[in-house]
Amino acid sequence: MPSVAEPVLAVNGVSFSYLDRFVALKDISLAVDSGEKVALLGANGCGKSTLLKILDGLILPDSGTFTAFGEPVTEDALEDEQFNHGFRSRVGFVFQNSDAQVFSPTVREEVSFGPLNLGMSGDEVAVRVHDTLTMLDIADLAERAPYQLSGGQKKRVAIASVLVMNPEVLLFDEPTAALDPRTQQWLIELIVELNATGKTIVLATHDLETIDVLADRCLVFGEDHTVVGSGTPLEILGDRQLMLSVNLIHERTHLHHPHAPTEA
Amino acid sequence: MLQREPALCPCGCIGKRSRTNFVDKTIVGASGLMRQVLFTEDIASRPGLLQRLDPRVKALTMVGLVGTTSSVRNIRVLVGLYAIAVLLAVASRIPLSYFVRRVWLFVPIFTGIVVLPAMFSFITPGRVVVPLGHWFGHRVGITSQGLRSAGLIIVRVATSISFVVLLTLTTTWTRLLAALRSLRLPRMFILVLGMAYRYVFHLLGSVTEMYEARKARTVQTNTGVTSGRAFVSATAGTMFGKAHAMSEEVYQAMVARGYTGRPRSLNPFNIAAVDVAWVVACAIAIALVIVVDHAIGR
Repeated sequence: MPSVAEPVLAVNGVSFSYLDRFVALKDISLAVDSGEKVALLGANGCGKSTLLKILDGLILPDSGTFTAFGEPVTEDALEDEQFNHGFRSRVGFVFQNSDAQVFSPTVREEVSFGPLNLGMSGDEVAVRVHDTLTMLDIADLAERAPYQLSGGQKKRVAIASVLVMNPEVLLFDEPTAALDPRTQQWLIELIVELNATGKTIVLATHDLETIDVLADRCLVFGEDHTVVGSGTPLEILGDRQLMLSVNLIHERTHLHHPHAPTEA
Repeated sequence: MLQREPALCPCGCIGKRSRTNFVDKTIVGASGLMRQVLFTEDIASRPGLLQRLDPRVKALTMVGLVGTTSSVRNIRVLVGLYAIAVLLAVASRIPLSYFVRRVWLFVPIFTGIVVLPAMFSFITPGRVVVPLGHWFGHRVGITSQGLRSAGLIIVRVATSISFVVLLTLTTTWTRLLAALRSLRLPRMFILVLGMAYRYVFHLLGSVTEMYEARKARTVQTNTGVTSGRAFVSATAGTMFGKAHAMSEEVYQAMVARGYTGRPRSLNPFNIAAVDVAWVVACAIAIALVIVVDHAIGR
């Protein structure tokens, strides 16, 4: 068992390139403590999603180390059934593209996919699925096919398919992107509520309007795929020069935020 | 660019009408497919006789009925079986014209072509009922035996297809897949089939958007075959790339939730009294058909 002070997820000096040519991450270090809300901020293509995939053990870094719950996450470790089972049940990932995540023929089968793969019994899975669908207010969609769902409903199903496994850490990739205002607000409140119950949240976003609610700490990625700043949302939002340099805001952007700096 | 230029002919005419091109046809075809699938899903959710049955029971009994149909040798018995299929369609609240069209639209085209030669005296000798002339001193034409053989095959195929159509129209695709899975078909096969069906709609949406984007930027009425071909091949290439990227992401989403290469699934079906009654009714019908067919003979 890891000690209380040990971070739940930690990457140290991590770099990653796609096809050994396209650099996505350069020497990134991050430690996420239990119960924290951490936001990865950056423009499109800066490497936020790639880091989330590394934190979920879906891709492995070219260099550097990744540890989860005090254990190094490597290819060998993930091939170990016991480790894989423990890691997958403790870390959940909500993808940006709900269409990729909602792949089963019906909503019920989609939500049951995770628990079944973690070896739970059919009865237990049925109860969990029912409870999760009810909690997210989508019980009436249980027998619907994904192509019959709206974007907001698909997002709810994707979240349900992860929450049903009751993970300790939740990774969200651009959670509020392409959602209508009501669904956005619902999702923001859900993330805050989940964090209040003790879940650790790591999310990638470039939505600055909600960042002070969604994060306790921010990590700012530059367009050169390195971390160029970190701090509380207020500190980051207060540094207009930093946000301009990483393409998070434009010179003409006015942030409607009480602590946001005015245009120079 | 900043000047307003109304896109009207300077002579004041209302322009020329263009024929429907492949872009329009593709868009209409894609939306037509979606409409048809939604219509069949609507039929499957109606409160009819076959919709009430457990999909496993339904699939097994339909296989039994198709097997019986293929073994029947008397055309009158086959017509009786077809009548049963029609009655089942009515009891399952399937629009009769839709059901009949769905079966008979393709049977004459495909089976008819195959059995056409069997009607003639040089394939099936017998009493010539429609003479077509003489060939080396022999009468050539359509024989009654040939007509009977062709009729037997056509009715047999139509009846078999009717039972299969009854199964697919009264069962949603998702429940049908689940039924096949519980009937011990390989889980991987069912998983791939289910995902293929799921993503066909997603990719269909992408194709439609690409064609709509082209249509929105097409001013010239006749863009030519060469540019059309180039567009179609570019679309195919783009779709291949999109499908590949999507498949990688879907696999990652599966792995993220504990998938290790062994598909597992829920089995939510229960056998009810109506299923038992249906199985008994089918067993009696099949036994009767076999006995009557043997008694009557050809």
